[in-house]
This record gives sequence, structure tokens and C-alpha cells, in this order.
Amino acid sequence: MQQQAVEQCPVHTYSPHEPRPLGEWNAFFDRLREEAPVVRNTFAGGYFVLTRYEDILAAYQDPDTYSSEAVTVMDPDPAHRWIPHMLGGEEHRQWRRNLGPAFSPRAVSGLDDRVRQRAGELIDSFADRGSCDVMTDFAFRFPTSIFLELMGLPSGELERFMDWEADILHSRGPDPATIARQRTAALTAVGDYVSSVIRERRADPGEDLVSQALQFRFEGRTATDEELRSYCVFMFMAGLDTVAAQLGYILHHLATHPEDRRRIVDEPELLPVAVEEFLRAYSFVIPARKVKRDVEVAGCPIPAGSMVQLPLAMATRDAAAFEDAGQVRIDRTPNNHIAFGAGPHRCLGAHLARHELQIALTEWHRRIPEYRLAEGAVTRETGRSSGPDTVPVVWDRQ
Amino acid sequence: MQAHIDLNRCSGHARCAAADEEVFQLDDVGYALRAEFDVPSGAEQAARLAAASCPERAITLTD
Ligand code: HEM
Ligand code: SF4
Repeated sequence: MQQQAVEQCPVHTYSPHEPRPLGEWNAFFDRLREEAPVVRNTFAGGYFVLTRYEDILAAYQDPDTYSSEAVTVMDPDPAHRWIPHMLGGEEHRQWRRNLGPAFSPRAVSGLDDRVRQRAGELIDSFADRGSCDVMTDFAFRFPTSIFLELMGLPSGELERFMDWEADILHSRGPDPATIARQRTAALTAVGDYVSSVIRERRADPGEDLVSQALQFRFEGRTATDEELRSYCVFMFMAGLDTVAAQLGYILHHLATHPEDRRRIVDEPELLPVAVEEFLRAYSFVIPARKVKRDVEVAGCPIPAGSMVQLPLAMATRDAAAFEDAGQVRIDRTPNNHIAFGAGPHRCLGAHLARHELQIALTEWHRRIPEYRLAEGAVTRETGRSSGPDTVPVVWDRQ
Repeated sequence: MQAHIDLNRCSGHARCAAADEEVFQLDDVGYALRAEFDVPSGAEQAARLAAASCPERAITLTD
């Protein structure tokens, strides 16, 4: 039996932190999928990885078994509870019901003009330069400036937020201890900043997301300052780097696939469909869950308490679910990808993210319709939801 | 044609509404509003697209 279990669940040892040239991680994940429906990585404390669309979708749709009380494989017993992400059951449902109206497709459409203005300003700042790094000049700044806007914060805070982001998510520093220290320090700084904003809004509410959250109701009570702090810090972690990474993958694709770029410029009405395909083909988020009871996935036993990764690229690049799954077909319809996850924890910001991406790409191509990757550029990514590190592009000045 | 939406599965991706927002109405949180309804004639193609676009596979159509 033991022997069989081992056979059914191949064991690997790889570090998801390792930077590899863009595309190599997806190719590696594709090979793991071909090898088995479940594999085990001995890295860190050891964890399982589901590799097939069907099993991954089913796991997301069963949050009682696949719990989000722990969401990183390195940290199976976390000291914190990010809101709403790490909540479950009725508590999670109530938060999502409160949050829903501000993030619904209709509410998000109402922000389009402001999103468009931010995108335009940023692109104008480098359009006549003839070159830029998509990541540092545009992709990180754009969602961060929208976030400031949504939180009702002055745009002058952008540099400060960019610094925190770099410390928290990009692990700057010479060694793991320094990286961890910087990360914790920056998270505390963001939390303290947010707490002072919460205090200000209690005294003098406005139209922003923080003021709205002060009105949330949970069976008669309102949210505590501590809950609001967790929610705001999580929004910071969930809504900035993700849009930046996705934008980086898309502009990298278009800079290296002139036929797709030309089609988007010539047929702007295709853009929403193309964005869905980019989300599918470049699904980079690798969520994880803690398994609450002994389960068996495709013959592989997974004991209660294990951490399981549900990488979205494993699902959206599965040939059993999508024709030519490894190819980008920018007019793919229908496209029921799960790049934003699935089940009750489906990305709260999905509709905002879609609008941000569509608007950013529209404004970019209006100003810079022809561009290419800078000569000799090497773009790397890690196997842990990181996005491209740099996307240097050049274009002929008008 | 009849549409059935499993509201317990629906998690508010709103892809159905992107196919046809009149037929696939959303509530104010952005989730499917109606569990069961007739697809108006002429909207069958959009309904098929909606069902095939739902990431949760919450929509079934019957003739
Ligand atoms: C292209 C951009 C984005 C991608 C690919 C993305 C992806 C995801 C994914 C896959 C999840 C589910 C994680 C899981 O189940 O463990 C998620 C959750 C979440 N996302 Fe996004 N996201 C994006 C942008 C945003 C934005 C702009 C916001 C907010 C303004 C946001 C806020 C959230 C929140 C709050 C959750 C937690 C939901 C819950 O657990 O109930 N995301 N996102
Ligand atoms: S596409 Fe599916 S999950 Fe999304 S709102 Fe429509 S029915 Fe619900």
C-alpha cells in the first residue's frame, strides 16, 4: 500500500524561490501535470501540489475540507488572520456580502474615468522617452495609485507605498534573515499607517473604502479596528502586485508576439476577450490550503493537516480542460478560466482588476502602438506568484 | 430554453452577465440574481456562451 501511494504521488524537491527565465516554471508545472495528478514537494515543511483542472476546481469549491485558515505552504500555523481571505464559513460569507457592493461589476465601472486618467498620466510620463521598464515605470505604480485613490489617500503617498511594496513582496536584501526582518518591519509600518487612517475616518468619514467599511454590519455589530486593519493590509497585499504582475506578463507577451499586438491595436473591441485569454495563459497565482480531514485525490492519500498548493496555472493550462492549453489564442471563446480562483474565495477584486488591465492596455496602445523587447533582455520569475522581475521595452519615438 | 443557476455554486465571476446582462442579471453584490428563468427567444446563443463561460459550472440549460 505504502509502495503504491509513493508510486501514485511522485516526490520532488525544488525551491519555488529560484528565479528562472520567463516560461520555464510553467513548462516545469506542465511536466509535473503530465507525470501525476498529485505530486509532493519536500521543500520547506513539505507539501502536496494538485496538477489537474478538475481536482483543483473541486478543491476550491470545498472550503470546509480545503481551508484557507493557512494559505502559504511555508506557514501551516499562521499567527495572523488576513481578512477576508483566511476566514471561513459564515464569518467569511458576511464579510463578502458586506464587501460585494463596492467591488461588483457595476460599482467598478463607475471608477473607469479615474482609472483611465491615472493610466494616461503614468504612460505620458515616459511615452516620449522611447524605452522603459514596464515593471518599475508602469506596472507597479499604476495599481498602487488606484489603491491610494480608492482608500482616499493623497497621490503624494505613492513613493512611500512603492517602498513598502518592494520590502514586503520583492524580498530585497542580501540574506533571508534581512529579507524577513524588512518584510515584517514594512508590514508593521503599513498596518500602523492604516490604523491611523481608520482613526481619521471614524472622526471624519468620506466616500472611500475605509469609510465604507466602518458601516459594515455583522449580525448587529460593526467591524473592530483590528479587523479593519487586517482587511486594509490584505487589500494592499492582494490588489497591487497581482495587477502589476499580470500587466507585466501581458506586455511581455505583446512585445514578443507582434501579430497579437497588431491585432489588438487594429481591433480594440477584441481587448476584453484577449485579456481573459492572457489571464488564462499567464495565471501566476499559487494559492494554498490546509486540508482539514484525510482525503484522497486521484488515488493519492493526503493526511489531515497537510498543506496543499492549488496552482492556477496547473488548472488553466491543463489540456484536458482547454484546447491548445499551452497556446495563447487571443480570440478564445468561451473561456471559463479560473485565474481569479473559484469557490467562495474567488478574487474580490476580479472585476476591478479586469477594468484596470483593459484600461491600462487601451491607454498604452493609444500612445505606444509599436514596441519590442529591448535587445538582450532577460526576464525572470520565481515559482511563487512573483511575476516578471523586469520587462524592458523600446519603441521608436514619434 | 430554460436556464438553471445553482446559486450555491455561483461565486460572482459575472461571466454570464458579460455574455448577456439582460438575461443573466446580477444582484447588488455581483452574484447571479435568478435561479431559474426562461431564456428569451433570440438569446439562446448568448445563453450557451454564458453557460460555457461560467468558471464554477453553475449554469445548466434545458430545451
Ligand atoms: C490580475 C489581478 C489579480 C489576480 C490575478 C488576482 C488573483 C486572485 C486569486 C487567484 C485569489 C484567490 C486566492 C485563493 O483562493 O486563495 C484572489 C483573492 C483575493 N483578491 Fe485578487 N487578484 C487580482 C487583483 C486583485 C485586486 C485588484 C484586488 C483588490 C482591490 C484583489 C483582492 C483580493 C481579495 C480581497 C482576495 C481574497 C478573497 C477571499 O478570500 O474571500 N485582487 N485574487
Ligand atoms: S458566471 Fe457563473 S459564477 Fe459567475 S455570476 Fe454567472 S453564474 Fe455566477
